[in-house]
Amino acid sequence: MITLGIETATQVVSVAVGGDDGVRGLVEITQGRRHAETLVPAIEFVCRHAQIAVTDIGAIGVDIGPGLFTGMRVGIATAKSMAYALQVPVVGVSSLDLLAHPLRHSAKVIATVIDARKGEVFYAFFLATPGGVQRVSEPVACSVDDFNADVMARGQDVLAVGDGAHRYREEFDGGIEVADLAHPSVASLVTLARARALRSDVDDLRIEDVQPMYLRAPDAVINWRTR
Amino acid sequence: MTTSARSSRPRGPIDESTVVLGIETSCDETAASIVMGGNDVLSSVVSTSIEQHVPFGGVVPEIASRAHVELIVPVIQQAITEAGIAEARIDAVAATVGPGLIGALLVGVAAAKSLALVWDVPFVGVNHLEAHLYAGLLEDPGLEFPLVVLLVSGGHTMLVEMRGPGEYRLLGETIDDAAGEAFDKVARFLGLGYPGGPAIDRESRFGDPTAIAFPRAIPDSLDFSFSGVKTSVINHVRKHPDVVTADVAASFQTAVVDSLVAKARRAAREVGAKGLALGGGVAANSLLRDRWVQACAEDGIRAFVPSRAMCTDNAAMIAAAGWHRLGSDGPTSLDAGAHPGLRLTMDR
Ligand SMILES: [Zn+2]
Repeated sequence: MITLGIETATQVVSVAVGGDDGVRGLVEITQGRRHAETLVPAIEFVCRHAQIAVTDIGAIGVDIGPGLFTGMRVGIATAKSMAYALQVPVVGVSSLDLLAHPLRHSAKVIATVIDARKGEVFYAFFLATPGGVQRVSEPVACSVDDFNADVMARGQDVLAVGDGAHRYREEFDGGIEVADLAHPSVASLVTLARARALRSDVDDLRIEDVQPMYLRAPDAVINWRTR
Repeated sequence: MTTSARSSRPRGPIDESTVVLGIETSCDETAASIVMGGNDVLSSVVSTSIEQHVPFGGVVPEIASRAHVELIVPVIQQAITEAGIAEARIDAVAATVGPGLIGALLVGVAAAKSLALVWDVPFVGVNHLEAHLYAGLLEDPGLEFPLVVLLVSGGHTMLVEMRGPGEYRLLGETIDDAAGEAFDKVARFLGLGYPGGPAIDRESRFGDPTAIAFPRAIPDSLDFSFSGVKTSVINHVRKHPDVVTADVAASFQTAVVDSLVAKARRAAREVGAKGLALGGGVAANSLLRDRWVQACAEDGIRAFVPSRAMCTDNAAMIAAAGWHRLGSDGPTSLDAGAHPGLRLTMDR
């Protein structure tokens, strides 16, 4: 089954198509920051050069965040619309899960940390399990200090990953190692989405169930609640 | 298997049988519509997140964008179902590319380009303001040119001469607040709630429109100004705290409508227009609609007052404008983005 992966929740726009034999094509634009302009042409390009007709796509995976709100929405609106037009299942995968996936052989606790701007990070903890990773905390948005305190409370060695880990590494307490990986991998997305699509009943992967993971209310709502 | 570069060619000539799916997400309405031949509206679905914005007294962009992502596919699906056509019958997908809220626009643009890619049909980027001009033609394809259109909404107040489809010239616009903005601000000041247009319209029914003579600022041009009348309302109420709110609302509404109608009539005379058309959310105002018809009757020209559903934001006007644009300019590239500050390209 041909699976399309769409990753636009960070500054990077990446898309990949894969089949039974793994990833067949991947396009990644790291500096463009023009998600809406780039995404659909990138999908068209990667399919064409991987010799896959768009209509042969059998499942779509999309990064649902947390991350950059506008970028996430462009990716999710594209994934949902394509899934609707193709009549295929769509699988939403959190960027926190995507970041943890390549570290699935780590002996340490994995902390995926995404830059949430305004001095905050989105993060969650994961543990390696046979064949993957398992999230062991609720994803949250909070300050770097709160993250440090959370790590301290766990009393375990932590391997941090993500653009938030890179940005705030100087402010992290000792005992937190930072891995190289900064952005979710669209190849991981294709693998995870494809596995879930094959495993699930098609009726369980409905378009309306794919929702952005914001982890933060709109500023207007926050200001209104606290006034 | 498709291995050649996509040409996004139209399926055939652009004619009366060409079916366009229109998508509109520039503000708080998520809308989709199927229009055949540029004026045959097969369906028009509008879903609004306005209820969520009421506590804030105005549209909150982040809330609007979140609602669009949730609503976009169900609204498109409903438009296609209500039109009773197969998806394969859709020849092009048009979406608003501006002006509007950037995060909101991008949801509709992303959806439209995705559908165009999968269905292998052209994508057409549409200017929201131009689409409002087509809203009149949608309900009355027999309208004769030249036509003067008053486009009046929460974001815009402009007089446009339309010499034909796609041919227009800006005659005048507001130099400060848009008329709808003035309605919102005065309604908030009077404690009538949000959105202000319908609130003022309702309250005015119980008031005396001649109670207070608010200024009809008429600079010597076809431009509008509403900040003066807004300030007068505030000063008047502060000076006369016991004034009847309905009288203030009715007098304010009359002042605004008087200046809108007076400028439109003058514009129609200056360009020798055969008709006067209304468009935009404020065109749903009862007094404006009545005065419009009355003024045209006196001047012996055609009045065109679209249905309220066609005045406020909708996707049928996007599909109609998209049909015209596809015919005149062809498809828009799939690497198009959104343009929040887009203007109606025209000379003055
Ligand atoms: Zn509008």
